[in-house]
Amino acid sequence: MKVLLQNLVKRFADSDRAAVNNINLVIEAGELAVLLGPSGCGKTTTLRMIAGLEQPDSGRITIAERDITDLAPKDRRVAMVFQNFSMYPTMNVYDNIAFPLHAVKMKRGEIDRTVREVAALVNIDHLLERSVRQVSGGEAQRVALARAMVRRPEVFLMDEPLSNLDAKLRVQLRAEIKRLHQDTGTTFIFVTHDQEEAMTLGDKIIVMNNGDIQQVGRPHEVFFGPRNAFVANFVGTPSMNMLPGVVRNENGGGYRLQLPGFDLSLPARFHDGLAAMAGNRVIWGIRPEAIRLVAEPGENCVSGEVELVEALGSRDLIFVRAAEQLFGVIVDAQESLAVGAPCRLHFAGGQMHLFDAENERSLLSLTK
Amino acid sequence: MRVPTSERVFAYVILIVMAMLVIAPVLAGSITAFKPQIIWVSSPPTWVFEPTLENFEFVFFTRKGWVYLRNSLIISIGSVAVALLLGVPAAYAFARFRFRSSKALMQWLISLRMIPPIVVGLPFYAMFLYLERGLGIGLRDTFPGLIITYQTFLLPLVIWMMRGYFAELPAAMEESAMVEGYTRLGALWRVVLPVVFPGIVATAILNFIFAWNEFFLALILAGNRTSTLPMTAGTYIVRTRVEWGNLFAVNMIIMAPVIVLTIILRRQLVKGLTFGILE
Repeated sequence: MKVLLQNLVKRFADSDRAAVNNINLVIEAGELAVLLGPSGCGKTTTLRMIAGLEQPDSGRITIAERDITDLAPKDRRVAMVFQNFSMYPTMNVYDNIAFPLHAVKMKRGEIDRTVREVAALVNIDHLLERSVRQVSGGEAQRVALARAMVRRPEVFLMDEPLSNLDAKLRVQLRAEIKRLHQDTGTTFIFVTHDQEEAMTLGDKIIVMNNGDIQQVGRPHEVFFGPRNAFVANFVGTPSMNMLPGVVRNENGGGYRLQLPGFDLSLPARFHDGLAAMAGNRVIWGIRPEAIRLVAEPGENCVSGEVELVEALGSRDLIFVRAAEQLFGVIVDAQESLAVGAPCRLHFAGGQMHLFDAENERSLLSLTK
Repeated sequence: MRVPTSERVFAYVILIVMAMLVIAPVLAGSITAFKPQIIWVSSPPTWVFEPTLENFEFVFFTRKGWVYLRNSLIISIGSVAVALLLGVPAAYAFARFRFRSSKALMQWLISLRMIPPIVVGLPFYAMFLYLERGLGIGLRDTFPGLIITYQTFLLPLVIWMMRGYFAELPAAMEESAMVEGYTRLGALWRVVLPVVFPGIVATAILNFIFAWNEFFLALILAGNRTSTLPMTAGTYIVRTRVEWGNLFAVNMIIMAPVIVLTIILRRQLVKGLTFGILE
C-alpha cells in the first residue's frame, strides 16, 4: 500500500532541535524503502510515527489514502520488527506467532493453520514448540518476522532488525527479507544505519540526517549521484575521499580546482554548475574505487607513496600519501602495492564530485 | 575471581560470628518456648528437659492467639494486595513515561521510607479522630484503617522495586504487542506482567514481612478488634513479671512464616532487594 508522509514534524521535550523536521515522502505500494542515516538522524522516529508509537507534532500520515495519523497502533494495519526485541519470553514460538491473531479473535483452527503456514515461510516450522531459551538470536528474529507477517499487514516496518546479529547471519537474513518482500509484494519500510544493507535491500533509499531528508533515490542514484556532501560521505565504504578547494577560471574558458598541494582541471560537465562559482570554496570528492594507479605522469595526476594497506579479500584498500593528503584507493589484490612503494594516482574527471562549501550541495545539478 | 585462603578464612570467621550474634538469642528464646513454666527462668539455665507444647496451647487458645494471627494475616495480606494494586501500575508509569517532576516524585517516595513510624502514627491517629467525629467514618481499630496507614510504607517499596523490574524490560516488548493489535493496558496485562511475575512475588513477600512485623503503628491505631500478633507479644510482659515461655511461643508464631517465606524465596528476595536501588 502506498505510504504518504506530509509535513511531518516531531520534537522531543529534551531537545530544541526537531527530531524529524518537516519531512515529505512518498513510498509507493509494494516498494521496499530504506531509511538510511546515522544515529539520531530521525529515521527511527519517522518509522515509529508510522507505527503510531510516537505522535507527530504536526503533519499527516496516510496509508493507501487512509489517514492514520490519529489512529492507535493496533488500528493501523502495520506490523513492526524491532532491533532489541524479538520474542515474548513467557510464550513459546507457536504462541508468539499466534499472539497477534488472538487480538482479532480468530478461530482456533484458523490460527493453527495460519501459524504453521507463516512459520514455514520463514523456515521455523520445526521450532514451534521451542521456548525462548531454546532458540538462537537469528531464529528469534525469524519469529519476530513471522509474528509481523501473520496478520497480513498493509505495511511492514523494520527498525534495524538485523543489527544485533552476527555478520554472517545478517547477510543471510537480509536475503530472506528481500525474498519475503518479493513473495508478498507488500510495502516494506526498513530502517538501518548500515549503508551496505540499504544498498542491497532497497528499491528506494531515503538518506536522512539531522531530521531532514537529504536525498531520495534508487541505490545507484544515491551512490553515484549524491546530492550533497553528507550523502556522498555517508554512502559507500570505504568512504569518499574529500578535500576542500577553490575554483579558478582558466584562460581557455574552463575551470581549474586548486586543492591543498595540487590542482586539477575540471571536466565540462561541471561548467554549468560553476558559472558563478569562480573564486568560491568548494568540496571536492572522489570515491576510492574511482582512483586509478597509472605509470605515466599526465593531467589530473599526483604522485605519492603507499602508507597503509588493508586487505579486503579480492581487493585491497591502500592509503596513499600524495601532495601531503591521504587518499584511500581500492585496487585489485593482484595489483596491490607494498607499504612505502611509490605510485601515481589519476583522478578521472567523470568520477569527480563537487559540492558548494557553503551549503554542501552538489554542483552537478543532476536531478535536483 | 580467586580469593586467597587467608582472606576466605577471615571472611568466614566474621560471617560466623555475625550469624551467631543473630541466631543465639533467637535459639535461646526458641528453646524457652518449649520449656515447662517451672524452668522458664531457672538459674543456671536448664538445657536438658522434656519439651512441651503447653506454652503454645496457652497463647494460642487460652489467650486467643489464633484471633491475633488471623488479624495479622488479614492486615498483612490486605495491605500487600492494596499496595500491589496501586503500586504496580504506578511503577509501570514511572518506568515508561516521563512526566512533570517524575524524578522528584520518585525521590519523595523513597524519602517516605526514611520517616520514623511515630511521625506518621500520631497524625494518622488525629486524622482518624477527625474523620470519626466530623464525618462519622470510623477507621480507628478497623482493618481498613491499618491497611490504609501501612500504604505510607508499603507503596514506596512496591513502586521502587517494581519500577526496577519494568525498567529492565525493553519498551519494544509492549510496543510490539501494541502494533500487533493490543492496547497498552492489554500489552501490560498479557505480555509485561507475566514476565515480571517473579518480581511481583518478591515484592509481595518483602512487603508482607514489613506489614507482618509492624508493631508501632498497630499499637497506636489498632485496638481490641484488630490487635496483631506483635502487639500481643507485649501483653506477656506485665508489671510484676515476664512470662518468658509464653512470650517466646508468640515470638515463634510470629517468626515462623517469615523464616519459611525467606528460605523458600531467598533467591528472588536477594534479586528483589538489589533491584532499583543499585541504579
